[in-house]
This record gives sequence, C-alpha cells and structure tokens, in this order.
Amino acid sequence: MKRKLIFIFFVLLIGGNLSGEENNCIKCHMELEDELKAPAILFENDIHREYGLKCNDCHGGNPSVEDIDLAKDKTFKGAPPRNQIPEFCGSCHSNPNYMRKYNPSLRVDQLSLYWTSQHGKLLRKGDTKVAVCSDCHGVHGIRKAINPKSKTFPWNIPSTCGNCHSNKELMKEYGIPANQEKDYRESVHAKALYEKKDLSAPVCNDCHGNHGALPPELTSIAYVCRQCHLSSSELFSSSPHKTAFDELGLSECEACHGNHKILPPTDEMLGIGEKAVCIKCHEVDSKPYNIAKLLKQKLNNYLNRIDLAETLLDKAQKSGVEVSEPRFKLREVNTILIQVRDLIHGLNIKEIEEKLKNGNKLLDEIIEAGNSALKEVKFRRKGLIITLIFIFILAIALLLKIRQISKK
Amino acid sequence: MKRRRFIDFLLGGGIAGTIITFLYPVLKYIWPPKQSEVIVKSVVAGKINELAPNTYKIFKFGSSPGILINTKEGELKAFTAVCTHLSCTVTYDGDTETIFCPCHNGRFDLKGNVISGPPPRPLEAYNVEIVGEKILVSKRT
Repeated sequence: MKRKLIFIFFVLLIGGNLSGEENNCIKCHMELEDELKAPAILFENDIHREYGLKCNDCHGGNPSVEDIDLAKDKTFKGAPPRNQIPEFCGSCHSNPNYMRKYNPSLRVDQLSLYWTSQHGKLLRKGDTKVAVCSDCHGVHGIRKAINPKSKTFPWNIPSTCGNCHSNKELMKEYGIPANQEKDYRESVHAKALYEKKDLSAPVCNDCHGNHGALPPELTSIAYVCRQCHLSSSELFSSSPHKTAFDELGLSECEACHGNHKILPPTDEMLGIGEKAVCIKCHEVDSKPYNIAKLLKQKLNNYLNRIDLAETLLDKAQKSGVEVSEPRFKLREVNTILIQVRDLIHGLNIKEIEEKLKNGNKLLDEIIEAGNSALKEVKFRRKGLIITLIFIFILAIALLLKIRQISKK
Repeated sequence: MKRRRFIDFLLGGGIAGTIITFLYPVLKYIWPPKQSEVIVKSVVAGKINELAPNTYKIFKFGSSPGILINTKEGELKAFTAVCTHLSCTVTYDGDTETIFCPCHNGRFDLKGNVISGPPPRPLEAYNVEIVGEKILVSKRT
C-alpha cells in the first residue's frame, strides 16, 4: 500500500511538471522586490492568465523548472525593448489562426492599424516616447476593454490618453497642446459619460480612432459626429452652409460647436447676440445676419410662449385645478421645440416656420386651457366668499332670532 | 316689512344659500373632472381591431405618452413614447418596423433597444393585455 502511494505521488509530481502546471516564474518573482515583483502580482488579474496563458507564452523560457539558468533557456525572450512592443504583442494578436482559439470575434488588425497611427509612424522613425500597446493597455495587469477597471474602458480612456497628452513637457516636443483632457472633461460628452454614466458618450478614441489614432481631418470630423448626430449632420449637408464651409475650409460641426470642449448647445448660439455663432462669419445687416436675427426672434417668441403656458399650468395646478390634458399637449410642444433646434442646422426657413406654426397652434390651445383653469380658480374663490357671506348672514340671523325668542 | 318677517327672510335665505353652497361641491364630486391626475400603473390604450397590422397609436399613460404598436405579425406591443435622449415623443416607422424619434433620428427595435442615433437607453416596455374588447397596458413590475 505504502509503495502504491509513493508511486502515485511521483506520477502526480512528474505529470504536473510535464503539463507545465507549476509556474516557477511567478514563484521566483514573488520573492523579488519592486519592479521585479510587480509583474507577478499584476498577472493575477490579467486577461491572458484567465485564458490559461503563462509567462513563457509571451516571454519564452521554461517556467516548469526551478533553476533560473535552466528556466531561461534558448527560447527565453525576456522583456522586449519599447520599439519592439507592437510586434511583440502583434505576434499573437495579428495571427487570426491563433486568436480564433481564444476569441473568434476579436479583431486581428490592431498592429496594421497601429502602423498607420501617428504613434506608429513616429515609432518607426525611432521615437520611443510615443505610445505603444502597453501604454494604453497596461502590462501584466491587462483587462478586457469591457471591464470597468481596464485602462481602455470608456470612462478610463480620457485618463489613459491624458497620461501622455496632458503632459505639457512631453507634448511641447510635438508642438501640440496639452489641454485636451481638461477641455474634454468640461464637455457635454463628459457630462453624459461621468454624470449620467452613459457609456455611449464619445471619448478620445471615438473621434481619433484607437489603434490607428490620428488627428481627424477637417472634412472627416462631421462624419465622426454623424455617427450619433445623424439628423443634424444630414440637415447641415442640405443647408447653404455646406458649400460655404467647404469653400472656406471650415470644419462642419467643429466651427460652431468646438472640438474637445463641446459645451451643451444653447439657444444663445443662434442670432446676433454676444454668444451667437452666426456673427462669427456674417456681417451686420447682411441677408444671413437678418435671417439669424429673425430666426432667433421667432424662437424666442416660441420659448416665451412655452414659459407662459408652463406658468399658467403650474399656477392652476397649485390651486388644485386638473391640467393633465394641456400638460400632455405641452410635451408635443417641447418635441417641436427640439425638432426646430435641430432643423436650424438645415436652415430651411419654410420648414422651421411651419414647425413653429404647428407648435404655436398647440400653444394657443394650452394657453387657453391654462386661462380657463385660472378662471375656474377665480370662480371657486368667489364661491367660497359667497359661502362665507351666507354663513355669516345665517349666524347673524340666528343670533337675532335667539334674542327675539329670549325677549318673549 | 315687520322686523319679525325680515328676520325670517334672512334666516330662510341664509339656510337656502348654505344648502346650495354645501350641495355644489357634493355635485362636483359626483361628476368628477374629465381627466384624473394620479400616478397610473395601467391604462386602457385602445380597443382590439382598432389598429391595423404595422400601425401604431399614441396613448396617454398618466401625463406621459405611450406608444401602442400592432406589428406586421399582428402582435401588440407597448412602450413609453418618451425618447430617452431628449424626451421627444417617438413614432413607429412601418417601413423599417422600428420605433423612430423625429427629433434626432434615434431608432429603437420592437423590444425597445436602441439601434442607432443618440438615445442612451432603451425604451421602457409595458405589458399588454386584452381584457374583453379593451387593450390594457400596464407598467412592468
């Protein structure tokens, strides 16, 4: 029996070593300090480990032997120099046959895209300060992009890019500003992402690309925006602005809305006021200037009437009158307002006026309903006063009657 | 007019007036306002056979609009009609069999999921039940 047990123990021990279950790289590195220990700790949460890969799958060597000289055998590659990192990762990630085994839907064009990026182009020229795979994905602690802890999860991307692009010293060498991350964090997109937790809000890579990151060209920005803002972009393309912008070499959306610091659009952007974008190009008293002025007036009038309708309904509701029907209609009025704001991108004045006309018709009904509701409030108050008068008269009459009876 | 008759007149008038003012709110209570403003969990969205296949109607769900769709296959589906982008009222596009927001071209499939455009979230789907001839739409719990 004892012999049998010893035999089984040796079979398991040898079998375990042969199948490579023991990872001596981790074992040794855990006993080291600082940067030599870090990879062993970080690898615990690495996506490659989850898929059963070991140190030698990237770095070569033999993790099954304890002796360091034997472990670093002929196949040992160690850590690649910075300029070789893309090829190092790409040796697996650009191999469809290899990647299919782990994730058939994962793209395998990251490396070829990388070489088209500004980072890749500069790396090829020998600039090793540019971003390589590990700068964005991390080293040894690499997580899937859908993991909120991943450096490439949407709400971590601005920080990931900002690690380099917010570094004034580093960016100075390339002659590019270092305020993009700060500007982005003030934008409407950042608000959607961080405050509303809307993961569909765009981050750096949605406009610049990820592996093939490049500054978008002036003409392509609109195509980036229209991925989400399709309606406004299509309207713009059909507007007289399209030709003018093309001739002037202006970027479609960016010219009015900016780029990284895209603030929530306001009605102040229309018209001839201080914050109006129309006056950036159009001269005072020119035809487009007057159109902008007219559109703003019409929009203001519509907004003022919405305010009036809301005030009337609020007042009536607070006084206890039922106003759900006009409130329901007010939703349609607001829908029209949003449509009009969008239609302004197309500058089809007739269409805008038609929409406003429909909205104003609804507003007429709502304002009338609001006024009727307030009349009802007045009527109820009058009724209350009359009631009180009658009660008062009754009280006096009773008092006099009591006196009359007591005199008898 | 003698003093006694005057007092009787005042007393009678007072009582009559009081009765009327007491009766008025009672009658108003009996005949309630046309619409009620309460938090609704279910409403009658329409009658069966009211909607032809591949058509829709907007109905009032409390103070918000709802959309009732009779699909091409004749299945009734209901959702909130408030777009999750900027709260516009959505419609149904029979050509593409999708729910469509006219404000910024947001599109949803017939499960309420976002297909394209800026809406950040799906539309809330409601339960649809046929009770007699009525189509009853209720919030999912």
